[in-house]
Amino acid sequence: MDRVGGICKDKMAPHERVGALMMGQTPDRVPFNPFAMGFSSLNCGYTIESFYNDPQKSLNAQLWTAEQYGYEPVLLLGYAAYGGWEFGGEIKMPTSEWEGAPSVARHPVETEEDVEKLELPDVKTAGIIPISMEFSKLCDEMGLPILPGTSGDAITVASNITDVSLFCRWLMKKPELAHRLLRLATDHILEAYQYWVDTFGAQKIMAGLYVTVAANQILSPKQFEEFVLPYQYELHEKILGMGVQAGFMHICGEQNLNLPLIQQLPLGSPQQPVILSFGHEVDLEKAAEMFPDNIIAGNVEPQIIQNGTPEQVYEVTRIAIEKGKKAPGGFFLMPGCELPPMAPGYNIHTMMKAVNDFGFYD
Amino acid sequence: MATEARKKEILKGLYDGVVEFDEDKVVELSNAVLAEDVDAYEAIMDGLAAGMEHVGDLYANQEYFVPEVLMCSDALYAGLDILRPHLSGKEADVRGQVVIGTVEGDVHDIGKNLVKMMFDVAGFEVHDLGRDVKLEKFVEEQMKTDSEIVALSALMTTSMLAMPKVIEMIKARNPDAMIMVGGAPISQEVADNYGADGYAQNAANAVQEAIQMVSRLREMGKA
Repeated sequence: MDRVGGICKDKMAPHERVGALMMGQTPDRVPFNPFAMGFSSLNCGYTIESFYNDPQKSLNAQLWTAEQYGYEPVLLLGYAAYGGWEFGGEIKMPTSEWEGAPSVARHPVETEEDVEKLELPDVKTAGIIPISMEFSKLCDEMGLPILPGTSGDAITVASNITDVSLFCRWLMKKPELAHRLLRLATDHILEAYQYWVDTFGAQKIMAGLYVTVAANQILSPKQFEEFVLPYQYELHEKILGMGVQAGFMHICGEQNLNLPLIQQLPLGSPQQPVILSFGHEVDLEKAAEMFPDNIIAGNVEPQIIQNGTPEQVYEVTRIAIEKGKKAPGGFFLMPGCELPPMAPGYNIHTMMKAVNDFGFYD
Repeated sequence: MATEARKKEILKGLYDGVVEFDEDKVVELSNAVLAEDVDAYEAIMDGLAAGMEHVGDLYANQEYFVPEVLMCSDALYAGLDILRPHLSGKEADVRGQVVIGTVEGDVHDIGKNLVKMMFDVAGFEVHDLGRDVKLEKFVEEQMKTDSEIVALSALMTTSMLAMPKVIEMIKARNPDAMIMVGGAPISQEVADNYGADGYAQNAANAVQEAIQMVSRLREMGKA
């Protein structure tokens, strides 16, 4: 399966490589996916906005960009600001030169009274769900795994429903309000997953589970224990309990103090593998040691992929690969978070080059 | 007039009130400062600001996190609102002026607000443009206020790319303006590459950096 130019020594196709990883087998080399969302759209001549509002363009961009660079496609149409629009607020699509993803333009909850009045949205029509569902149908037609666009991260949904600063103050002063938002966020996510399972069947679905606002740049481990762990536990338990084929959990940012708590979450099994993706702030060797039964993913610093020289990108990718390859549960090379949409394409090629140079298993 | 012992007690109380985010205590003691004729400037600097400096250390050491720091900030502002109108003469003079905002394309403002608070408590006049600020607005506001410093914040790798552009725009209109950058994806190396004059790793050193920049300007006779 050598590519033109002879730099590719692949013995497996991308789906075979990911399949082997998910089944607990050793693939020919480390699989690589750069979490390329807005980047894919720009790469294919589309706008970033179209990634989030045009399912066909979003699918094309992700598949074509994976084909161009030779990495493993993992397709998703979703966004980190999930919750604001879905619960009745307004979203701002990325249209300016400096925007990389949708952001909440108006939060549905701005006062304590708004919390009391807030209700669960209609799961079939809320916010981005119809667009994301359409995207999932396109994936299904192509026989690709389906990663629902709904969030799997109760604390982040809750802090998108209201302003995150206000939410943080409620954690301290009015915890009952924070808990009500977390309850609604959790119930909504579960309803959305049930909608996807009812539409496609659980076995086609890879669950997306995230913890973003829970990062220690924002919350303490004590706050994680009280406001994140119980809801995230419920999400993991119930979503995995629906019988989905696998899970992908992105543990965003600095989460070192939270890792012992994350260990307490249901994190799959050999029959239902869950990939744990880490930011550059968490050392991959430590992650592999703490989660030996999971596939570890990460963690090249996105800022370096955007601003670094090819030499710097090659070096940080080499380090990630060499650490990750030792993970007993397997390793999937990724950036520590979404690939910056304006990253130079050559730096993605450089990451692929590092995969070819250091990523093969003996 | 408060005795020295009582003054110390009040200052310590303000310090503790900020650190323990006890807004009621800060309000009560700030009123006591006025009623008992304690110097308002001392109360701000040795009570509230000193407390906030300790809060900065607690955040850096991962003993406090954003929710605690926001609560401390609320307590601090409760005291500042009472005491600041009672500064007089030289004490009321501002240390400098700063235009601050999160750059266009970025709605994240927790970090920017914490830096703003540190400027406030350090005696700067702050012109806060908010978040998702059009690049031209930074230029206009700097020119309008003749601020010595423009502080730019970005959390996203996309919006950070606006920084070199706005730095270029500001410098083209006023080469003497000092630009400081900060935010999660920013490092000293990035700040240098972008042509910034200063880099703030966190809210506390943003102010130290700003004070140094204003001093440099004044030494050059430009401020």
